[in-house]
Amino acid sequence: MKYFTTVGDQQYTIEIDHDNKILVNGERYDIDFQPSPEGSVYSLLLNNRSLEGLVEEREDTWEVLIRGELYEVQVQDERAFRLAKARGTVATVSGDVNIISPMPGIIVAVPVSEGEHVSKGDKVIILESMKMENELRAPRDGVVRRVFVQAGAGVEKNQTLVLIGDPDAQGEESDEA
Amino acid sequence: MNTDTLIPKNFNKLLIANRGEIAMRILRACHELGIRTVAIFSDADRNAMHVRQAHEAYYIGPPPARDSYLLIDKIIEVAKQSGAEAVHPGYGFLAERAEFAQACLDAGLVFVGPPVNAIRVMGDKQTARQTVKAAGVPIVPGTEPGLDDAALIQAAEDIGYPLLVKASAGGGGKGMRPVHKSADLADSIAAARREAMAAFGDDTVYLEKMLVGARHIEIQLLADMDGNIIHLGERECSLQRRHQKLIEESPSYVVDEKLRQQMGEVAVAAARAVDYVNAGTIEFLVDRDKNFYFLEMNTRLQVEHPVTELVTGIDIVQEQLRISRGRRLRINQADVKMSGWAIECRINAEDPYNNYLPSTGQITASRLPTGPGVRVDTGVFPGYEVTPYYDSMLSKLVCYGETRSEAVLRMRRALEEYRIMGVKTNIPFHQHMMDSHRFLTGQFDTSFVEERFSMDEREAPHQLDAAILATLVAHQQGQKASQIVAPGDRDTSNWKWLGRWERLQK
Repeated sequence: MKYFTTVGDQQYTIEIDHDNKILVNGERYDIDFQPSPEGSVYSLLLNNRSLEGLVEEREDTWEVLIRGELYEVQVQDERAFRLAKARGTVATVSGDVNIISPMPGIIVAVPVSEGEHVSKGDKVIILESMKMENELRAPRDGVVRRVFVQAGAGVEKNQTLVLIGDPDAQGEESDEA
Repeated sequence: MNTDTLIPKNFNKLLIANRGEIAMRILRACHELGIRTVAIFSDADRNAMHVRQAHEAYYIGPPPARDSYLLIDKIIEVAKQSGAEAVHPGYGFLAERAEFAQACLDAGLVFVGPPVNAIRVMGDKQTARQTVKAAGVPIVPGTEPGLDDAALIQAAEDIGYPLLVKASAGGGGKGMRPVHKSADLADSIAAARREAMAAFGDDTVYLEKMLVGARHIEIQLLADMDGNIIHLGERECSLQRRHQKLIEESPSYVVDEKLRQQMGEVAVAAARAVDYVNAGTIEFLVDRDKNFYFLEMNTRLQVEHPVTELVTGIDIVQEQLRISRGRRLRINQADVKMSGWAIECRINAEDPYNNYLPSTGQITASRLPTGPGVRVDTGVFPGYEVTPYYDSMLSKLVCYGETRSEAVLRMRRALEEYRIMGVKTNIPFHQHMMDSHRFLTGQFDTSFVEERFSMDEREAPHQLDAAILATLVAHQQGQKASQIVAPGDRDTSNWKWLGRWERLQK
């Protein structure tokens, strides 16, 4: 089977065949892959290089922990990859992005307003939770399309707080508003 | 001696007025000394480790601390109901609330901590400053509170720039303004007064010299009821972010034997000024010329006490319990020997790649590092829920080595070995720090983490391995699923087949 696997900005083509071999971007490796009774712990001998990792499924990604670092990995088989490509939903950083509350808390401040241009890393929301003020930042450049909360509001986990859109889509949006 | 508020009593049952790793730490010391333990818990902590391992446990209320772990009356009531004779407050929550210590005494309970008066005096910034100053302890140059604007501006000339305008009632950086030149002073005073008035209802401010490049170094003390006070050397705590310590070590790279002795003597004098008893810590700022200034006293057990335990061999929590039972210290200053090096990394549920945003959720897997020279203090286990109600510290990973480099190498190894899933952790931050040239050469101050340390340049080195592992797991699950939903190809039932398949995978 052939898979398209994305980690951060890297994409790999991984082919798995039946005789304990895999092809990664065309390069062949011997594998000995062992799940363990410990649930999410997996052992892999990759050309005899020993790797241990924790692998867990999340909503539409996999989380992999190796030597202290946590990786978010997207695995698509050929069919899913083609479908996603056709729909234009292959992992990218354009299109609308919702800023979502990562935990319940209280909005301390909203330093942006609708229509404002933001750059990647700009503070968008200041959320108080776990006895700390936490800054939520813009994941990319764009324009603030909607602000759903105001300072003082209590929010739940996964609540949408701010919508950031493409700068060029701004014109269409302003007609609605 | 003004220790009349302490009643020595040979207690055999103790209530732990705390939760998490520190509740476990206290519980262990108690069990080692044959003291029975009483745990308290909120709705969020019924399954917590300290509840399971204590001899008794009592429910005290809903998850928010103000409805449970901060309820003085409720906790005293539970102590009485359970027949506990003593209370250990841990750190945080009620540990530095004089009224809690007083309530314990009023109820005839031994408070494992200092006298009420010492908590009160050291708990008020200005009173603490004045008290230790009178005892000859150096404090950061500055003004008394209560001066008017003209007098402040006058005083600034003597103090010199840069300086800080600080609110008397302040805390957490509110009402605090750095000023770099005299032209900005008047505006900054006005702004600080406004902020202080809004935040605390009190616009009293004072000036303090701003120490550039200063390190945060603290001295651990132990004091018994007979007036014996000793120090257990220093801890280096300069690696902080927003006043939260992240990494501590003992000894400090910049403290030599002479400075240690000087700081130790001054710390003992500061403690004596309030007739201190039990474990306590004097925090100092140390400037580039190794001048040191009193910052504050923490009248309780510190989070980072394990690094001192590892280099001195003294169990600080056991000593606290002995002192509160009225015993004299078994050692004097000359017996305290520091040997080797210890480093502590606070493992927090936060994302170092996303502005240290706290991460909540259920811990799905946890395997702690072990082996020579590694200690982990934690209350977290698989199934544990990291909630927004309490702080984000999951554990303290402490490593010991004969030398600093040995401790660092061991810490790197232990960080790699640590397996914890379900929330994001700051383990990569610590790994990055352990690789940082400035950390390795001891070249850092309290502003280092925030101003000159970035995760951006960190290359996560195992992307390919992660991709392969995830793909293999996804493939395996896909195979399993397709074999379950494709009947007809096999002559046995799907359930039988699944059972066989699962046995084969083991």
